[in-house]
Amino acid sequence: MSLESVMVTGIVLFIIGASGFLLRGNAIVLLLCIEVMLNAVNLILVGFARYLYGTEGQVFVFIIMTVSAAEAAVGLAIVVALVRLFGTADMTRINLLKG
Amino acid sequence: MSLSSFLWILPALPALGVLVNGFFGTSWRERKIASVSVGSVGLALAFALVFAADLFSRLPGDRRLSMSLYRWLSDGSLTVDLGLFLDPLSMVMVFVVLFVGFLIHLYSAGYMKGDPGYRRYFVFLNLFIFFMLLLVLADNLVLTFVGWEGVGLCSYLLIGFWYEKTSASDAGRKAFVVNRVGDFGFLLGILLAAVVFGTVNYGEIARLLGSDPAVAPGITAAMALLLFLGAIGKSAQFPLHVWLPDAMEGPSPVSALIHGATMVNAGVYLLCRISPLLEAAPAVFPVIASVGLATVLYASLSALGQRDIKRLLAYSTVSQIGYMFVAVGCGLYSAGMFHLMAHGIFKGLLFLAAGAVIHALDGRQDLEEMGGLGKELPGVSLTFVAGTLALAGVFPLSGFFSKDAILWGSLGRYGLLFWIAAFAGALVTALYSGKLLAAFLGEKRFEGSLHRPGTVVVVPLLVLALSTLAAGLPGLPLFTEETFFARFLGMPAHTFLAGEHTLEGVLMVSQLGLIVIVLCAAARFFTVSRKAPVSEALASGFGVDRLYERLFVRPLKTMARFCFSVIDSRFVDGLVNGFGALSMALGTLVAGYQSGFFRRYAASLAGGAVALIALSVWFQGGF
Repeated sequence: MSLESVMVTGIVLFIIGASGFLLRGNAIVLLLCIEVMLNAVNLILVGFARYLYGTEGQVFVFIIMTVSAAEAAVGLAIVVALVRLFGTADMTRINLLKG
Repeated sequence: MSLSSFLWILPALPALGVLVNGFFGTSWRERKIASVSVGSVGLALAFALVFAADLFSRLPGDRRLSMSLYRWLSDGSLTVDLGLFLDPLSMVMVFVVLFVGFLIHLYSAGYMKGDPGYRRYFVFLNLFIFFMLLLVLADNLVLTFVGWEGVGLCSYLLIGFWYEKTSASDAGRKAFVVNRVGDFGFLLGILLAAVVFGTVNYGEIARLLGSDPAVAPGITAAMALLLFLGAIGKSAQFPLHVWLPDAMEGPSPVSALIHGATMVNAGVYLLCRISPLLEAAPAVFPVIASVGLATVLYASLSALGQRDIKRLLAYSTVSQIGYMFVAVGCGLYSAGMFHLMAHGIFKGLLFLAAGAVIHALDGRQDLEEMGGLGKELPGVSLTFVAGTLALAGVFPLSGFFSKDAILWGSLGRYGLLFWIAAFAGALVTALYSGKLLAAFLGEKRFEGSLHRPGTVVVVPLLVLALSTLAAGLPGLPLFTEETFFARFLGMPAHTFLAGEHTLEGVLMVSQLGLIVIVLCAAARFFTVSRKAPVSEALASGFGVDRLYERLFVRPLKTMARFCFSVIDSRFVDGLVNGFGALSMALGTLVAGYQSGFFRRYAASLAGGAVALIALSVWFQGGF
């Protein structure tokens, strides 16, 4: 498996995640999109690790997985709180950050 | 442990009074506040007497106590210490300040009873004594300047003591501003001394002047003249005298203490203190003497035109200080200091007695409404008459001895014409003294009953009246420069016309005779004629105030209005408001972007990241 195919798969995955994040409204879908983006990065890291015969990339993958697990936990808790507060998980209708 | 290391106790006691009354006195009754204040000054007076006894017990050349508290600042060769020293010259001043000050504190305790600002008054009064002692005891020009400005501040605060009265707060401001002119000269003089001598210590300067003739006489003269300008301002000499008559807006004891007995004499003290400098620049003496003489004539004529008893006394103070300047200008420091002491006592007495009279008349100050007071207020009248006679220079009161010494010196130093002018001033003094006396003679000229003054008010008057009698004694023996006072002071003495005792005796007797005749005639004239003729020119002090109004006040006000309406309103405010408007505009420009939808934020984040990467790749020369 060549580096190029891994890279292309990773970039395509990242673009899918990013455009999902920008275009979709449901909070849970947004969290899923973040996971997709993180895993796209993970894929690229692993691909480079294999290409360079190193282990640093693999180590980063584990760190990212740990962080994304924590992030998912916190994110889901926020989603629950949002739904309780606004009665909806549609992020296009929530603009509390407006200055 | 020698006595000199306790010198700090003199200024410390009134300072303690300030702190105690200032911080703890807020809820105290008047009695307690007054006893703290009067007690602190009384205790300082007791200590001063101990120091005086110590000075007397020493040999004439060794009469000097000094101590250094703290090295204030040190910059290269120039060092300024917080140093105090006491020699016969400062002893005389300390004595006048504390003796008259103590009696005036006592008098104030009764006089100010019931005033809502009772505590504030005593705090300021004690603060004044503190700064005055600092001025007098300082061993260098810089520390003297600190005391100098401090007494100026207290003067300002006390003139404007009844600040609800616009005239009082205006008068305070006028005093402050006019003094700036003199202080400007004083400050330049200090700087010049620091540059030329590398020191500001009086002893050091005297030593350098004695040992090093390399200092150009022009420089020493410039220095002396600059310091003299400071003295003119503080001692209200012509042409910077305009603040003193207005300063009478303050309470009468304040006029007695600050504007009669002590602060206004600081200029004379300063000139005596820098006497080595004057001796090194003899060209300055005629300047000092002529300013003094001009002031004597100008102010005594203006005094004659006043109807307000306190304004009359103020002009009289200006003219008497003029005599002290004449004395210093003749090189007769001891005669000047002697007149200072005598004048401090009798002018303090006159102001206090005038205060009692004004109080008795329900605040009326117009001399034309006063008459026949001798029968109504015998105690106060007796003391006032004693003060007036001393002012006119009638034997055997103190003013006779001091004024005679000055007149004789002026004849010896500057000749006949100068003497005639100075003596004419003395005759005018006798004239307005007669006008003062007329208030106590003849018929009653007012309606209603009088308020009799309390014991606390009368006792200081009696003590001061006795002192005017006693203060002449150090001026003995007559017909010599070597009076008791001069011997104690130990200042450099110039003798003129030595041995001409017949001439001096004849002059003394004829002067006294003329003064007494003029005094009696004036007293009779002003008693009989109910409406005394008052020349408009004399009453307004020859229009100097109006002249200054035209020359300085109006242009300054116009300039201030211009600065306010154009420079401040247009330029400064425009700049500040412009910055405000600019940031507002920028804010509204960017604020629309803060939609609150985080999807937008994420999009800009992603867009920014892509743009950054693209840029960095572009500059790396990729693609």
